[in-house]
Amino acid sequence: MRDTVAVIGVGCTKFGDLFEQSYEDLICDAAFSAYADANIDPAEIQAAYLGTYLPGPAGGKAAVSLADALRLYDRPITRVENYCATGTDAFRNACLAIASGTYDIVLVLGAEKLKDRPGRGLPRLGHPLIAKGNSAPGLFALAANRYMHTFGVGRDVLAKVAVKNHYNGARNPKAHLRMEITEQRVLEAPIIAWPFGLFDCCPTTDGAAAAILCKRELAPRFRKDFILVKGFGMAVTSGRPYFDPTFDYLGFRSTQQAAQQAYAMAGVQPSDIDFAEVHDCFTWTELSNMEDLGFCRKGEAPGWVREGRTRIDGDLPINPSGGLKSFGHPIGASGVRMIYECVTQLRGECGERQVRSPELGLAHNVGGPGAVSCVVILGLP
Amino acid sequence: MASITAYSAYLPRLRLPRAAIAEAWGQEARSGEIAVANYDEDAFTMAIEAAQHCLESSTARVDGFFFASTSAPYREKQLAAFAATVCDLPRLARTADFAGSARAGLAALVAAVQAVDSGANRGVLVAAGEARVAEPESEIEGLLGDGAAALMVGADGGVAQVTDAASVAEEFTYLWRTEDSVFVRAFPGKFSQSYGYARDMTEAIRVLLERNGLSPTQVWKFVLHAPEPRAAVEVAKRVGFDERNQLLLPPAAQVGSIGAADPFFGLAQALEQASAGQWIIVAAFGEGADAVLLRTTEQVERQRPTRRVQDWVNARLPLPSYAKYLKYHRVLPREESGEAITNILEFKELKQDVRLYGSRCTACGTVQYPLARVCIRCKAREQLEEVKLARRGTVFSFTVDHLIANVEHPLPMVVLDLDGGGRLYLQVTDFCEEEVQIGAPMVLTYRRLHEGGGNYNYFWKARPPR
Repeated sequence: MRDTVAVIGVGCTKFGDLFEQSYEDLICDAAFSAYADANIDPAEIQAAYLGTYLPGPAGGKAAVSLADALRLYDRPITRVENYCATGTDAFRNACLAIASGTYDIVLVLGAEKLKDRPGRGLPRLGHPLIAKGNSAPGLFALAANRYMHTFGVGRDVLAKVAVKNHYNGARNPKAHLRMEITEQRVLEAPIIAWPFGLFDCCPTTDGAAAAILCKRELAPRFRKDFILVKGFGMAVTSGRPYFDPTFDYLGFRSTQQAAQQAYAMAGVQPSDIDFAEVHDCFTWTELSNMEDLGFCRKGEAPGWVREGRTRIDGDLPINPSGGLKSFGHPIGASGVRMIYECVTQLRGECGERQVRSPELGLAHNVGGPGAVSCVVILGLP
Repeated sequence: MASITAYSAYLPRLRLPRAAIAEAWGQEARSGEIAVANYDEDAFTMAIEAAQHCLESSTARVDGFFFASTSAPYREKQLAAFAATVCDLPRLARTADFAGSARAGLAALVAAVQAVDSGANRGVLVAAGEARVAEPESEIEGLLGDGAAALMVGADGGVAQVTDAASVAEEFTYLWRTEDSVFVRAFPGKFSQSYGYARDMTEAIRVLLERNGLSPTQVWKFVLHAPEPRAAVEVAKRVGFDERNQLLLPPAAQVGSIGAADPFFGLAQALEQASAGQWIIVAAFGEGADAVLLRTTEQVERQRPTRRVQDWVNARLPLPSYAKYLKYHRVLPREESGEAITNILEFKELKQDVRLYGSRCTACGTVQYPLARVCIRCKAREQLEEVKLARRGTVFSFTVDHLIANVEHPLPMVVLDLDGGGRLYLQVTDFCEEEVQIGAPMVLTYRRLHEGGGNYNYFWKARPPR
């Protein structure tokens, strides 16, 4: 599987409160940028994967919302919905489609239009009684409180993650929240779900991102500096971890398993990774991700953050894009946006936030309080 | 002869100072406070709390449940059967709801005694709960409190035998609530107290005394429900007993008059301090009066409740806001999102959601929730058995959510490791923020979870123990 699939083009909209744009606008903007980046005629695309958690009002729950927006008819399109791992899982499925030899060229597109919806963009789904009262911040906060209790970590460490990701995002023209913040501002912000204050939480965001994949042999036809898929992994654990008496709440097994699969496929170690785009839906999640992805041992991430090792100029830059925290989190788009960031970083196109000459980048999504996780490793040929 | 085999009270934790009511209306300040139901409590949920305490303190077989209230949350729906399900009583049970006036509690008790004496039932749980709202700015506002109390009636071995009962029935307008009103209205004052309350109560008590050859001095305590506490003194004078030593009033000054539950509150207070062989008369008023004669047994001294009425009175949390009181009692309109649980889902999940059963793996012993067919730990298939989960546990982790759509903020959520196994994820209610911590103990309580879809959707929550 390793090195058989190439990314030949990526595109990403500006992320933010895009009140003047529709779901279809976002799909078109992301796809057209990717077409241009790959220098491809869309007629050459043989199949597509749409990653979206809550499809547009006109699109229902099938893949038609991609087909209609792009007039991409008469070919297979699959809609992937897998909580916050939706985007990377759509990418993973596209890789499998090419690796199987069935298709040569595939479009992956993640799109989400949260701001057009009621309930701050996140209508509550699920059982009318059981687990009612849950919220995304509330669910991750359960883990954060247990982790902080166990390792004696304070909110100041969480704040340092937010400060770093806002610093990076301020240097990213496509980011949703483009301002630097201070640790004091993070700590004094209103509490959302203890221990998370406002700046510990990613925003709800509109946005879309796209990637065009092809089998490696075809890649040079489109561009010289194509990027290769080195490995990927995915794992699902209980979607109701709060009922799981075996769960220690100190990290996510789904990420640990997905990472091991990805490293094995790529034939690399965590220490070989030059930078990572990880799922920092909340500041604590970034700490846990660093440990679950094997960059450091359980309980060590706070030390790394205090020492600044995860800054753009540190020895392992984490979320040079600004992460979900600053770039924003349009659910189904986030994973594909991470692929976009990895590809542009590896191509050396990231300007002020450019990581120094990276060769291997990692993208990671985790969703549904640790229930689903997907890891993708991308690298230079 | 049927006897009381267990008794317990329940008071909501919140207290509204009467001064807050007076301040809202620009009235002269009044002392004391009333117990007020939290936003997720009603007469039904509080009665369940009291009933659960009875069940925990007794091993007697229970095959009946009577619910008494003038303020039941449903006009159509038998809450006794619902409460019996929540309490995990067997399906073959006799249940009935009693309503109308504060006499409903004693009427249910007498019916339970007759059911046991006739041999029709082995044990009947009688629970009374009230969450009444007086007409705002009226004289009786500040007199009515919320709460519940329960008695268990069995054939023998109880703390007090129920030996006789007498009733008076005649129309008299004192307290009322029409079908379209949320407010209790009243003609309070001297006339109602003398010509209604004292007249009927005295008559019912005299019948009991005469029929049983007792003089008033032979009765240890007269436990009297009184919509206005000072009215009971007139009964003492007319019957001829000592109001200072023999009259026992429910704790109305501290918590308000709790309607149908009042006689049970007073009876519980009497039984908490009674010796063997003492006579007690308990009476309640409402378009007539019911009076019940009891005699304590030796068991009364051996079987004191773990939580006394005074403990419930003391376990208080001030709610110094008349506006919140109006909001919690649905006087102010509010909209709640959410879908009602369908009867199909409720039926399928009754044992899991209402009776609160989980699965226990017979291969590895892991207790898990919700009900499952494959063990979450050892993955054994079809080797799980249904097991009733404990109603208490310890906080494994928590959050305090300030953003979530809920009637009240903030809303704590806890992951709770139950005593005996099983892990639940629940909302927390009746709390101070410092009580929601890792390692903190919690007990389970059945509450209104939300009112989406035009129904009260009840489910379990966690609350700090009191």
